[in-house]
Amino acid sequence: MTANHTTTDPSIQATTGSDGTGSEAIRFEGVTKRFGATVAVDDLNLTIRRGEFFSLLGPSGCGKTTTLRMVAGFEQPTEGSVYLEGEPVDDVPPYSRNVNTVFQSYALFEHLDVERNVAFGLKRRKVPGDEIRSRVADALELVQLTGRERAKPRQLSGGQMQRVALARALVNRPAVLLLDEPLGALDLKLRKQMQVELKEIQREVGITFLYVTHDQEEALAMSDRIAVMDEGAVQQFGPPEEIYESPQKPFVAGFIGVSNLLPATVEAEGVRLKTGELFAPPLPEGCEEGASVFCSVRPEKIFLDDLEDGMVSVEGEIVERIYLGTTTQVIVQLAPDVRVVALEQNTARSRADDRWEIGMRVRLGWHPEHALVLR
Amino acid sequence: MSAPGWAARLPLARRRAERRRRRGFDRPRFLLAFFLLFVVWTFAPLLVVALFSFNSTPSLQNFEGFSLQWYDEFFSSVTLRESLVASIEIGFVTMIVGTVLGTTLAFALVRARSRVAQASNVLMLIPLVTPEIVAGVSALVLFTQIGMDLSLLTIMIAEITFSISFVTVIVRARLATMNREVEEAALDLGATRIQTVRLVVLPALWPAIIASALLIFALSFDDFVIAFFTTGESPTPLPVQIYSSIRFGVRPTINAIGTLMLVISFLIVALAVALPRLLGRRGEQNVLIGGEAG
Amino acid sequence: MLAPAGVWLLLLFAVPMGIVVLVSLGRTDPIFEAVYGWHPGNYADVFDPLFAPVLLRSVTYALATVALCLLIGYPIAYYIARFGGRWKTLLIAAVVLPFLVNYLVRTYAWVAILSDEGLANGILQDVGLAENGVRFINTSWAVIGGLVYGYLAFMILPLYAALDRMDPALIEAGKDLYGNRWQTFWHVTWPAAFQGVVAGCVLVFLPAVGDFISAQLLGGPDTYMVGNLIQQQFLEAQNWPFGAALTIVMMGFLLIWMLLYVRSATRASREASA
Repeated sequence: MTANHTTTDPSIQATTGSDGTGSEAIRFEGVTKRFGATVAVDDLNLTIRRGEFFSLLGPSGCGKTTTLRMVAGFEQPTEGSVYLEGEPVDDVPPYSRNVNTVFQSYALFEHLDVERNVAFGLKRRKVPGDEIRSRVADALELVQLTGRERAKPRQLSGGQMQRVALARALVNRPAVLLLDEPLGALDLKLRKQMQVELKEIQREVGITFLYVTHDQEEALAMSDRIAVMDEGAVQQFGPPEEIYESPQKPFVAGFIGVSNLLPATVEAEGVRLKTGELFAPPLPEGCEEGASVFCSVRPEKIFLDDLEDGMVSVEGEIVERIYLGTTTQVIVQLAPDVRVVALEQNTARSRADDRWEIGMRVRLGWHPEHALVLR
Repeated sequence: MSAPGWAARLPLARRRAERRRRRGFDRPRFLLAFFLLFVVWTFAPLLVVALFSFNSTPSLQNFEGFSLQWYDEFFSSVTLRESLVASIEIGFVTMIVGTVLGTTLAFALVRARSRVAQASNVLMLIPLVTPEIVAGVSALVLFTQIGMDLSLLTIMIAEITFSISFVTVIVRARLATMNREVEEAALDLGATRIQTVRLVVLPALWPAIIASALLIFALSFDDFVIAFFTTGESPTPLPVQIYSSIRFGVRPTINAIGTLMLVISFLIVALAVALPRLLGRRGEQNVLIGGEAG
Repeated sequence: MLAPAGVWLLLLFAVPMGIVVLVSLGRTDPIFEAVYGWHPGNYADVFDPLFAPVLLRSVTYALATVALCLLIGYPIAYYIARFGGRWKTLLIAAVVLPFLVNYLVRTYAWVAILSDEGLANGILQDVGLAENGVRFINTSWAVIGGLVYGYLAFMILPLYAALDRMDPALIEAGKDLYGNRWQTFWHVTWPAAFQGVVAGCVLVFLPAVGDFISAQLLGGPDTYMVGNLIQQQFLEAQNWPFGAALTIVMMGFLLIWMLLYVRSATRASREASA
């Protein structure tokens, strides 16, 4: 399966735009990686622009970490080439590449203190001593760990170790910073805080970030662009809003946010849902009559009762109600195998719990243009 | 475990056990007495040997008075002195060569991916379970059939052969627990493979290497069976000397030798415990100096 | 990376073993040099009525050693594991400490004590219990005693490791359920300790069978074990082919037990993780 580009093709833009190859940080050309019989990465073609915060998003085993490791130099592509700043890096070992990695397990050097950890890369490159000291101090300031130079990794908390790992990588001013699910081990509150901090640091420093995660909220929050991967191939890539609002594939629709995928068939006048209703959403090219499709509708776009004019209307029974604090999820059974999740805000004026009970029959609706037809 | 009935009793039982322990109920006197007797039984013979090594008369029954004459006899005997030196030499050479070989083998095996490496993982264990007499016999047969004269060298070769596996097992176990990403981080930050080993792997590995080095020093210094089969005419290592002497009958001189070996064994154990701690702290300095210069 | 040690072990361990097999099939010529050939009769000689008792005795002594080590070692390991508390590691180290001393020196200690002019007889005579002393040395029990003293640590350590892992509350629960000590032991403690017991038995049995030091120093011609026989053939009688055959037979015997142990251990760990 090849990548499904959005209408403006960013990769082409990057290479043939006014900046030429100068604005590209990483380029994958036909990159495939096999481990024995398993295909981890399948014909990857992607360009990542200089200075952008780019995320590889997908479930476990989708190939995102393998892709990252090929940029770092820990794996070699079986086919195709990886280009860093326009130059192919096929036989270049990790220690000669101008990239640095922040690992999931932080991978700090236990026998060295914070300062010497951060200084490690600079020492390898034989940077003079005074420069090392000042650059390390700057890096620690950037991650807000000034004053902890003498601490050992075992004396630090998870979040602090995370920052040391970040400083250790950034201090070398690499062309690209690779981050492999760096926030996975942190608790929720800290993770949210670090997400904001990482984004700020990236903007301040201007280095290209290639970020790997399985957390779609994280990717949406931090990235300039996201590539959603599954089974070794990019399913879709683009800015977060585009991925969320206009998913091109059922997988993407299902993976990003909560989505309802309603089975339907294409007819002459529009699309007929399995539950019988007919309406006319915008159709993508090449939809023939009789084709089986999915209608993807975001839960927050669904109204419960109080329908507006022009909305598609369906009926069902409430089978579950989940209170989430700011919102309540209401799950409605339309047909024996068709369920829909709707989202209601809990405002001061109306709490969803007060209105909806399990077992109630309710009318749902949405505007046709909010339904995406996917194949 | 079998009966599921008592799994439910666990929380209650735990509390009761806690209470009993606090009240000091938990010490069956029989076991304690047995334990004390055991300690006496294991330590006493060694203490007796040591005691009578200082006896002023050749008696092994009655302690007449304090004297160092038997140690004197030991150190004035050229043969015995040479034996002591020979044992120490064997210990050192075996320690150095065995540790180097064993450590490199550990590195090769810990990331065992090829079939050869995986098979080697198991094969490497065989020398560990081989009875010493089989080891001695096979070494003897080898040396004579290739026409090599028996000497200290043949002992060293044989000892090294059977020490490698000890080092490999210990070092490999430590290597296996090390986070692979730490090595990748070093590579990522600009260290070549050799630098990575020197700056990141070895500092964490030192305690295991030292422990296994001391272990094989002690094992080869103390070894009798293999040395017995592969030794030349003279000098022979100390354990072989002891054995020959005992064949002629017991003497306090042997007590002296025995006590000496006892002391040396304990010293090695003390070293094995203390060194990793000492080096642990200084090791970091060395890495920094190395880092600074490199 | 694999090369240096791999080559060394291959040349100096695997190859010699092969040579031993070859020698075992050879014969000695009139001047006692080993000559290669095909004489499997050497193996038949091994089971000759002249030598068979020696083999049997080795196994018997080894089994007795295992039994005694178990009887002595188990309470010790149990005591430290269960009641050691904070001092556990210290206690187990102290218990193992004497066994770090050279095996020969340890055996000599008993020779010195048990010999006719040794301490034991000295005390007995002084106290008046035995006029002319008691012959301790040169008996089966002296040899077995030497073996036990030599290999006890190999029984205690695995036992301790297995017992230490056991949860003491289980014993309390067991006492609750079963009422008396014996039942508790049988149903609770034993299954937990079992793996440790098996490991300890193997670690003691294997070297004990091939041991010749205890038999040599504490025993006499009546207590010869297969180890003594092998040593004799190689270093005194110069009958290398026969000695080699003995060696191979002994190795084979031990290998069977080792393989059985490995099979049961892997099966146990597979069941445990399932």
